[in-house]
Amino acid sequence: MKDITSAIQIIPLNNYIVLSMALFSIGLMGVLFRRNIIAILMCLELMFNSANLLLTAFSAYHSDPTGQVFVFFIMIVAAAEVAVGLSIVVMMKRNVESVDINLLNHLKW
Amino acid sequence: MVDPIPYINLSWLVPAFPLLGFLVTGLANKHLKHNLAGIIASVMVVLSFAVSVSLFFILRSSGQEAVTVTLFNWIAIGGMNIPFAFLIDHLSLTMMLIVTGVGALIHIYSIGYMHDDERVNSFFAQMNLFTFSMLLLVMGANYLVLFIGWEGVGLCSYLLIGFWFKNPAYNYAARKAFVINRIGDLGFILGIILIFFTFKSVTFSEVFSQAASFHAGSPVITLITILLLVGAIGKSAQIPLFTWLPDAMAGPTPVSALIHAATMVTAGIYMIARSSILYNLAPITLNIIILIGLATALIAALIGLKQNDIKKVLAYSTVSQLGYMFLALGLGAYSAGVFHVTTHAFFKALLFLGAGSVIHAMGGEQDIRKMGGLRKKMPLTYFTFLTATLAISGIPPFSGFFSKDLILSKAFEHNIILYILALGGALLTCFYMFRLLFLVFFGEKRLAGAHPHESPKVMTVPLLILSALSVFGGFLNIPSLFGGDSRFSTFLQSTVQTNASEELSHSTETGLILGSLLLLALIIVYAYRLFVSKAVVPAKDGESMPLFSKLIYNKFYFDEIYTAVFEKPFGFLSDFFYHKIENTVLDPAVDSIGQVTEHAGTLLRRLQKGNMSFYLFAMVAGILLFIIFILIV
Amino acid sequence: MIVLIILLIPFITGLLLLLVRNAVAVKRAALASSVVNFLLTFSLVFTVPVSGYTANWINFLGVEFALGYDGISLVMLLLTGLLFPFIIMTGMKRDQPQVSLLYALILFTQAALIGVFLAQNAFLFYVFWELTLIPLYFILLLWGGECRRNVTFKFFIYTLTGSLFLLFGIIFLYHLTPGMHTTDFSVFSKLNIPAGTQVWLFWVLFIAFAIKMPVFPFHTWQPSTYTIAPTQGVMILAGVMTKMGIYGALRFLFPIIPLGVVYWQNTVIILSLIGVIYASVIAFRQTNIIRLIAFSSMAHISLMVAAMFVLNYYALQGLLFQVLSHGVTIVALFYIVMLIEEKTATLQLPQMGGIKLQAPNMAILFLMVVLGSVALPLTAGFVGEFLIITGLFHQSIWFALFGGITMILGAIYMLYAYQRVMLGDKKPALGTITDLSRHDYFLLIPLITIIFGLGIYPQPVFDLVEASVKSMQDLLLPLAGSLPALPQ
Repeated sequence: MKDITSAIQIIPLNNYIVLSMALFSIGLMGVLFRRNIIAILMCLELMFNSANLLLTAFSAYHSDPTGQVFVFFIMIVAAAEVAVGLSIVVMMKRNVESVDINLLNHLKW
Repeated sequence: MVDPIPYINLSWLVPAFPLLGFLVTGLANKHLKHNLAGIIASVMVVLSFAVSVSLFFILRSSGQEAVTVTLFNWIAIGGMNIPFAFLIDHLSLTMMLIVTGVGALIHIYSIGYMHDDERVNSFFAQMNLFTFSMLLLVMGANYLVLFIGWEGVGLCSYLLIGFWFKNPAYNYAARKAFVINRIGDLGFILGIILIFFTFKSVTFSEVFSQAASFHAGSPVITLITILLLVGAIGKSAQIPLFTWLPDAMAGPTPVSALIHAATMVTAGIYMIARSSILYNLAPITLNIIILIGLATALIAALIGLKQNDIKKVLAYSTVSQLGYMFLALGLGAYSAGVFHVTTHAFFKALLFLGAGSVIHAMGGEQDIRKMGGLRKKMPLTYFTFLTATLAISGIPPFSGFFSKDLILSKAFEHNIILYILALGGALLTCFYMFRLLFLVFFGEKRLAGAHPHESPKVMTVPLLILSALSVFGGFLNIPSLFGGDSRFSTFLQSTVQTNASEELSHSTETGLILGSLLLLALIIVYAYRLFVSKAVVPAKDGESMPLFSKLIYNKFYFDEIYTAVFEKPFGFLSDFFYHKIENTVLDPAVDSIGQVTEHAGTLLRRLQKGNMSFYLFAMVAGILLFIIFILIV
Repeated sequence: MIVLIILLIPFITGLLLLLVRNAVAVKRAALASSVVNFLLTFSLVFTVPVSGYTANWINFLGVEFALGYDGISLVMLLLTGLLFPFIIMTGMKRDQPQVSLLYALILFTQAALIGVFLAQNAFLFYVFWELTLIPLYFILLLWGGECRRNVTFKFFIYTLTGSLFLLFGIIFLYHLTPGMHTTDFSVFSKLNIPAGTQVWLFWVLFIAFAIKMPVFPFHTWQPSTYTIAPTQGVMILAGVMTKMGIYGALRFLFPIIPLGVVYWQNTVIILSLIGVIYASVIAFRQTNIIRLIAFSSMAHISLMVAAMFVLNYYALQGLLFQVLSHGVTIVALFYIVMLIEEKTATLQLPQMGGIKLQAPNMAILFLMVVLGSVALPLTAGFVGEFLIITGLFHQSIWFALFGGITMILGAIYMLYAYQRVMLGDKKPALGTITDLSRHDYFLLIPLITIIFGLGIYPQPVFDLVEASVKSMQDLLLPLAGSLPALPQ
């Protein structure tokens, strides 16, 4: 356990921050600009995981396990959320024969 | 001696009879047998004539000059106290006698004239209503009661001009008369209000007794008199508001005789004579009256020269004679004006009734070019018409001579140019009247197929009575030149304040009279040669004629000018206001406030068009903005 | 106590009517209620001392349920009481859908109107003021003519917007009251608001009344609303509702913000006189007879508004007289217009003509009402307009002149309309037209009798409002400085 922590600490913290920001941004852009709802879900996962990465990195640097515990919680919630999201995707596919998010535009005035 | 007041207090009977007649003939319109309405109406007017005559004698024997009879308080608020009251004095008695006397004759005549009309009952109801209103007008003891009658006669005039309402042209004439009268009435009512504010009363006696404290030419009095004058101009058909009177001939002929010759149109003269005390304080207004009167007398006489409709000739003649009355008023000779009102009522009513008799005989034809030679077929009508023509032309000893001569001599005293112009008008009058007489009664019959016949007795008897009055009416006021004592003028002295002026010397006056008589004789001979010897018939419509004749023939284009200057722009203004202002500016302005809200909604609605990726984008953008905001602040 | 009964009778009858199915019974009950109501209102004239009614209502706001009246309210109450029987009779012999609802709504309107005229505090006034609108809205919406949805919507929103300002003004005044806040008119009138505040507060309060009356240029809802409204609705609108605006202005502006009134006096008079001439000119070319009468009514009302703001004894007397006279005349006019529409199936003047040939009696009665409307002497209209013009003259001869032009213009457009409807030759397209029925006489003869009766003997009305007008004059006398002294 100590090795892992020290191994993490070999790489400077800034690199983790930059990496997770990059991951987050990629995910965000994907959410914003992709039309395929499956791709959007995947991008959402990416954003989750960028946050997880950051949490882990900070947790290691601060020698505080709370952050890593949170990561587990997040992974569980994300898994549940993916289950719901994918079922929506399935329903959508059944109803509108497509996974294009722009077809879901009936929610308006 | 018996106290006269209780009898004079019964003077409300005078207007009450015609009112009763109106109610009876009006309400029982459908149920009255033929002729019955006419008889009822005539009896009512005769009764009020009888009451007027007895009032006349009672007042004269009582030695009192004026008696006020108050019926009830009409408007009494704050400082305004306007009773519904009658004033019985010499001036109002004179007018009452004219209205009821001539009115009664015309009512009787109408029984014959309107015999075949299906709405004869309505006709008599309206005639009675007119008599009632006219009596209110002349009997009212204050300006507001006078105004009731003033507008009332206007209404009756409207109704009777448009009596044959199927014809749109008649309706138009009726409306025109009413509206033009209303223009005058506005001036009149403003004048009354100003009188009220100036004197704190509108009752004649109170106003006139206070007027003495104003000096001549005071601006308030001038304004009052001018405003009243506007009313008189409208009612008495003076320039510039005279165009309604010739059109008013659309009504049945007895209406023209009663309303548009003998009584209603003289209301303006009556009103000014009544207010003589005020007018004497306003020399500017008097000069305006002279100008208006003279201009009207001349222009109307000129127009009369070229008219071919028997009633139109008489209508312009009426306008012209009213101009003479105005001239007399302007000269301060109020009693001369009222005297001319009296004689004019006799001979002009006679002329109109005679014309009615002719029209009746010709089966409704009014064009004098199609008449001619009626002298032999209708001797009575011819005879009466002749007396009236002589009277209006001012041939002695007929009534018109005395009244017109009085006005002319006053004009001479005032200004020689005035005299010459007035005399010129008199000569024109003489010419167009004899032209009418010769064309209608002399020469050959020009309309084939017509079978003229003398009118029934019910029509000719009133003609004869009026004829007698036209002949002898002048003797009421024989001037000192002929050894008389100017009884009529003296009679009115108590009510009508005449501007004192030196009498003409008898030799001057004799010279003037002889001169004018000579000219009149020449005119008559000329007319005789032209229309009888040479048998000239006026040109047909549409034939070309010299410029001035054309101008006269077309009545100086007054109607056309008024249409172009007032009527058309008014309609245009109405359309402009409605289409351009109301529907393009005001209403849209209000709607636009609503539309702003609506547009704002439409704009904001675009944010909510259901696009998921846009929502996501908005969410992210919002978070970013929020973060930036926190970082900055 | 009588005032409470007067307020409740139409309201309760209206509620009961909703339960009745029989059309004839509904109309009779409504008529009976309105007649009883009128008699009770009339009895107020002789009730000394003034009867009032006060009950606790919303204590924490300091608002009481207070009813009462003075001479001015009494004129309005009499007008309401007098007109509603006629308005209800209008529908008597006619087939109408949903009778019980219609008459219930009419009676609710009456109750609300009476409430406005009786309210003794601004809160209650406002409640009733808004309450008049709701039943009337449904009357217009359910029984109206073409395009009624848009027009009614506009009418509703427009007047509601005006009322919003009024509400704001009332709340503002409420917060000015000392101690425990209240909305009593008597307290409002003793506030001594600074002149600067009064100047802007004037428009806040006036706008609601200006829209209701309506004053130029806030009138645009009126012609179209009159055109689509059912006859009974338009009678309520033109006969009583417009007077409600006048009443509101008299109740709010003059006692509470007299300085504001004096400050804006000439502006409002000029606006009104523009309205007089503008509406009269427009009326001339209207082809729809209802629209024509709507503009004519606007001209008359504008003249009354001008009279109100000259702050002159005669003008105020004339105004209150004209309130009665105009109400009666306009109801008679609209009744005849309804008859004409029933008989000819059109409202377009060019399609009418020659009706007098077939229906002479209708023509005569129509003419009589027209004469009342053009203020011929011996009709009530003349007395009112004469006093109004007298009052205007006192302020300025130009005001009197422009106000008086309505005499001429009124004659022009009304007689033109009369001619186009009644006179001329018969239009073949019109078919046979029956003359008036007995029921029509029952309705028109009393109205015309009132028009002429008040014109011949107007004194009782003057005496009725004398005290109130004097008190209003006493209030304004020191401010305007130009009021005529009142000789005793």
